[in-house]
Amino acid sequence: MFVIGVALVLIWGLIAAAAPLLATHDPYAIDFAAILKAPGAEHWFGTDNVGRDTYSRVVYGARLALYIGLLGVVAPLVIGMTIGLVAGYFGGWVDTVAMRLVDITVPFPFFVLVLSIVAVLGPGIENYFIALALVGWVGYARLARAEALVLRQSEFVLAARTMGFSHGYILLRHVLPNSLSPIVVYLMTDVTLVILFGAALGFLGMGVSPPAAEWGVMIAEGQTYISTAWWISFFPGLAMVLIGVGFALIGDGLARMLRIER
Amino acid sequence: MSTLLEVRDLSVRFGQTTAVDGISFDLEKGASLGIVGESGSGKSVTCRALMRLLPPAAKISGSALYDGADLLQMPLPQLNQIRGKRIAMIFQSPASHLDPLMRIGDQVAETLRKHTQMRGQEIRDEVLRLLDVVRIPDPARWARAYPHQLSGGMKQRAMIAGALACQPDLLLADEPTTALDATVQKSVLDLLAQLRREQNLSMIFVSHDLGAVARVCDDLLVMRRSKLMESGPVSRVIDAPQHDYTRKLIASHPDRLTLRPVAEASTGAPLIEGQGLRIRYGGRSLADLIAGREGGFVAVQNADLAVRPGETVGIVGESGSGKSTLARSLVGLVKPQRGTVCFDGTPADPTGKGRVAYLREVQLIYQHPYEALSPRMTVARAIAEPLRRHRLCPPREVKDKVADLMEQVGIPTKLADRYPGQLSGGECQRVAIARALAFDPKVLIADEVTSALDVTLQAQVMDLLLKLQKDRGLTMIFISHDLGVIRRLCNSVIVMRQGQIVESGPTGAVFDNPREAYTRQLIDAIPHLHAGAA
Repeated sequence: MFVIGVALVLIWGLIAAAAPLLATHDPYAIDFAAILKAPGAEHWFGTDNVGRDTYSRVVYGARLALYIGLLGVVAPLVIGMTIGLVAGYFGGWVDTVAMRLVDITVPFPFFVLVLSIVAVLGPGIENYFIALALVGWVGYARLARAEALVLRQSEFVLAARTMGFSHGYILLRHVLPNSLSPIVVYLMTDVTLVILFGAALGFLGMGVSPPAAEWGVMIAEGQTYISTAWWISFFPGLAMVLIGVGFALIGDGLARMLRIER
Repeated sequence: MSTLLEVRDLSVRFGQTTAVDGISFDLEKGASLGIVGESGSGKSVTCRALMRLLPPAAKISGSALYDGADLLQMPLPQLNQIRGKRIAMIFQSPASHLDPLMRIGDQVAETLRKHTQMRGQEIRDEVLRLLDVVRIPDPARWARAYPHQLSGGMKQRAMIAGALACQPDLLLADEPTTALDATVQKSVLDLLAQLRREQNLSMIFVSHDLGAVARVCDDLLVMRRSKLMESGPVSRVIDAPQHDYTRKLIASHPDRLTLRPVAEASTGAPLIEGQGLRIRYGGRSLADLIAGREGGFVAVQNADLAVRPGETVGIVGESGSGKSTLARSLVGLVKPQRGTVCFDGTPADPTGKGRVAYLREVQLIYQHPYEALSPRMTVARAIAEPLRRHRLCPPREVKDKVADLMEQVGIPTKLADRYPGQLSGGECQRVAIARALAFDPKVLIADEVTSALDVTLQAQVMDLLLKLQKDRGLTMIFISHDLGVIRRLCNSVIVMRQGQIVESGPTGAVFDNPREAYTRQLIDAIPHLHAGAA
């Protein structure tokens, strides 16, 4: 299963990298001679209401999806791990403050919170990243804190302290590497989530703005024609499923492998 | 006497690995058989195979005739008539085999209700009788208690009471005393030996501790690497072992161990001192402030200790006596509430400014060999870490220094790139010692370093520590709950109980002439190697 996941993600990576080679048409070229064409030899996945080639748009969409998914998790990961490790390792008031912040965020549904932040800041992918940074760190912080709480009492961390190493060094060299496994697993599911929410924002018109070749935007554009030209929404949807399943399988596989290692 | 259990060619395989390899033995009615071996020798698996408690992945072959019927072949309903009713089993950790939400009395009653005709008042009376048999004081009171309210020894007794409920013919005891303190261990062993006589119980007693087995059993099986090495009456095996491995096992027992002589006690000024140390955990919470009390828990109370250069001081006590806490205060892991630590005659501050310089002189080695090393660092990197981080030697020489340290503690150089998970417990402990030695410390504090190791490894580590002490003139503080080990290693000894030092003095004097009744108890609990000691 893990191999399938890696293969899926690798294939998407290749597609994104080689998009200009793989695309049969310009994803933005409007062609009024070929409006709402069904999938066929000329347009493999059909065309949309202004004659753009769905296949080429899905291929270019992979770039945006991976860009959003991989970049969107960076800030939450870094912020969350830093706060979580520091809170768990030192405890005391640092921990109290950090965990109360977490408590404030947790009761709100994740997507609702992201959505309202984007609504306040205005649509656009940068604002989506900002919203993710503000809300998404919570999951990483909780995991990292739980690991750090256990590790700070473990004998090798105590040993590092009795060797006279500074707290910063111990956090970086002993606590961080040993707390990574559950976080990496969570990271994989989070990438999926960030891609899906990114598309959802595009669909709602609050993420990447049209006419960009973004899967959520494409699904939204196809919505009106869903009964007559299903392919406009179907193929970007399928692409999203395949990329999501890929990351999810990697996450599962990693979880299993890391558990055995322990 | 007739044969109760006849085991022939018992083998257990998990996939490719053989856990038990063709074991045969007989158990007479009323006899008791000890199975001794190190961890991974297959002794517990043998025991569990007889009760068919192994996971389905285990492939079992051979036969185990119990009263003529094969335990390994019989259908499950028939087996369940025997399990619990005629063969009972007790385990190493009573805590995990008692239901935390069920009162002790009810847990014992459960077996009675399942396997006997007794009902109502009859059961209640029988439960109280059983708790009395296993010497739980005031049975009526403790029958109403929940497991967490009982001490480790009491829990083990309650589990034995549950096992005895149906008056079984055979009791399988899988390391029943390993998790217990020495004095409690002795009382449980005495109880088992007595039950055997009074109830005419047959017993299979599995343990890594030859001394414990000798206390309870008549016959002995020695296992190693899933094979049977030697069997015979306990006294014969101990006094005239046939097999090399048995000889090594016996020679590793603290009683028989030939170690290099302990260094002469020196008379100089103390190198490291603790004066009036008082250590408290917790407390000072808001609730404590309002109530105007100190709160928390005092782990060490007014402890004084002084260790002279080149001397080894042992600290002994049961779990919770504060001995580890005291050691940790000497390396700055806990800050004493009161009292001072002095090094070389001047007050030192292990938690404050001079910490790094102080820790170069005073190093601590931890109990659990696997936990004391970061699982993601190789042996060589773990030993090199203090050298690099504190620039204890020029970067170019780190590699040679690491190799030199590894040689000193006897780790083959080919293990340098292994991770702790790929090493044995003894090897990990050596790496931890090498890492501490990288500082070239004057004082080495060993916190239960041999407790988690098998006897043969324990002997090797003890020998290593003595050798290092001699070669480097180390001053050592050796913490252990095992007086047998302390006696062989230390010039003087400190006995702790409930956070206080109750007795201290030269090892010989304390052992020959203990002032305190508690010390006497500890000394009596040392497992000795002669048959039928109980």
